[in-house]
Amino acid sequence: MRFTLRSLITLVILAALLAAAYYFFITRGISYIWHWESIPEMLFYYGPKSAEDPSVHLRMGILMIGFVMTLKISVVATFFAIIIGTVVGIARLSTEPITRWISSAYVELIRNTPLLVQIYIIYFFAGSMLRVSAFAAGTAALAIFAGAYVGEIVRAGIQSIDRGQMEAARSLGMSYAQAMRHIILPQAFKRIIPPLAGQFISLIKDSSLVSVIALADLMFQGQQAVARTYYAFEIYFTVAALYLVLTFTFSMATQFIERRLRISD
Amino acid sequence: MIKAEHVYKTFYTPDHRKVEALVDFSIEIHKGEVVVVIGPSGSGKSTFLRCINRLEAIDKGKLIIDGVDITDRRVNMNKVREEVGMVFQHFNLFPHKTVLDNVTLAQIVVRKRDKAEAVEVARALLEKVGILEKENNYPSQLSGGQQQRVAIARALAMHPKIMLFDEATSALDPEMIGEVLDVMKNLAREGMTMVVVTHEMGFAREVSDRVVFMEDGRIIEEGTAEHFFTSPTSDRTKLFLSQIL
Repeated sequence: MRFTLRSLITLVILAALLAAAYYFFITRGISYIWHWESIPEMLFYYGPKSAEDPSVHLRMGILMIGFVMTLKISVVATFFAIIIGTVVGIARLSTEPITRWISSAYVELIRNTPLLVQIYIIYFFAGSMLRVSAFAAGTAALAIFAGAYVGEIVRAGIQSIDRGQMEAARSLGMSYAQAMRHIILPQAFKRIIPPLAGQFISLIKDSSLVSVIALADLMFQGQQAVARTYYAFEIYFTVAALYLVLTFTFSMATQFIERRLRISD
Repeated sequence: MIKAEHVYKTFYTPDHRKVEALVDFSIEIHKGEVVVVIGPSGSGKSTFLRCINRLEAIDKGKLIIDGVDITDRRVNMNKVREEVGMVFQHFNLFPHKTVLDNVTLAQIVVRKRDKAEAVEVARALLEKVGILEKENNYPSQLSGGQQQRVAIARALAMHPKIMLFDEATSALDPEMIGEVLDVMKNLAREGMTMVVVTHEMGFAREVSDRVVFMEDGRIIEEGTAEHFFTSPTSDRTKLFLSQIL
C-alpha cells in the first residue's frame, strides 16, 4: 500500500472530525458515567463458571459466547446459501419451464417479504411442527433468505460468461453438468466474488435478527448483558465492534482471494 | 462420414425476422476428405458446421455422422461430439485453466483417461502444434495464433474422427494466419476428415479435395479448388471470388 499526500490529507480531516466530535460531547456535558471496565470480563474472564462448576479457568464471557454463536450461524448459513444460490441460479436458466417458474417464485417470494417475518414463520412453523432447534430454524431462515439473493448473483454470473465457453465444452463431449462444473461455474464465481462478499456481509449483520427467537447470538447476549447491567452504550458499542471484526475480516479475506484468482486474467 | 439429406434450419432474429440458414441442404463427405466451405456471411456455412455436432438442432431432414443419425432423439449427443472436434473463430479456450489443463480436461472428464496419460497426449499434441513451451501459461498470455493452435490441440486430444473449423483464422492478425494454417494443412495431409469454413483460398488450393460455395442456405456450386480458380460456372460464384481473391 502506498501513502500519498492525498492519504495524509484524508487522515488529517478524519482526525479533525473525531476531535470535533469529542469536543462536542465534552462541552455539552453529557453526564454519563462510563463503565468500560466491566466490558473485558464480558469477553473473557478468569474464574469459576458457577456454583456447580467451581473450577477456575480462563472462560468466555457473555458477549464472547454470543460472538462464537454468531460466527457459527454465519458460517453454516453462508455454506447453505451458496448451495441454494447455485442451484437456484442454474434453475433460473433452465430450459424446463416448470423449473424456471419454481425458482423464480422462490426468489420473488423470499426477496419481497421481510426477513424478520420469515424467521418467525420458520421458527414457529418448523420449530413446532418438525421440532427443530432454534439454531436450525434461525440458520435455515438466513440461508433461505440469502440463497434467493445469491441465486440472482449466480444467474447473472453465469449469463456473463461468453456463450462460446459452453459451446467449446459441449463440442468436446462434456455434458451440460460437466461443462457447468468445470468451465462455467468456476469462471462465474470468480467474477461474482465482489457482489457475493457484499451479500455475505449482509448475512452476518442480518444474523442479529435471529436474537428474536431466543437464539443466543451476539445481539441476544448483548441484550441480556444490558438487561443485567444497564450499561447500554458500552455494551452495544462493543457488540457493534465485534460485528465489525467479523465483517471486516471477511471483507479482507475475499479481497485476498480475489487478488489470488486474478492470476489467469 | 457425414451425410446431410434435405436439411432445413430456420432462425428467428430478436426482431422476429426469419432467416433461412439451411434450405433443402444435402451433402455427403467421405472419410479422409477435406471439404472447404466458402460463401458470403449469412450464407449458412457456419450453421452447417454447428449442426454437425448439434450445437444447433436442425428443423427437418436427416443428418448422419459416422453412421449415427443425430436427428434421432435417443442418440447420446455427447458420445457423437467426442468424435467430432471443433475449432472456433474466437478460440474459446478456457481462460481459468492453463494451456496444459485446457488440453487435458476433456480427456480426463469425458474420455476418462488418467491424468498421466492425458498429460502425455496433451504434451505430444502441443509439441505438434509447436507450443509446448507455453504449457504452463494461461490463454490470456498467448497471442491469437498461439491460442488457436492450443484450441486445435485441445480438439485433437479427444482423437476425433472429424474436425470442424469455423473461420479459424478470421479473428487473427494477418501475420499469425500462416502458423495456424500450417497446422491445419499438416492435419489434412495426415488424412483427417475435415470440414473447413474459411476464406483462405490458398489453403483450399493446397489441401482441399472439394470446395463448396454456399449462399442463402443452399449449395450454389461444388468442385475442386482448381475448378473455382479457373472455371467457376455460376455468376454468383464469380462475383464472390472476385471479391475475396
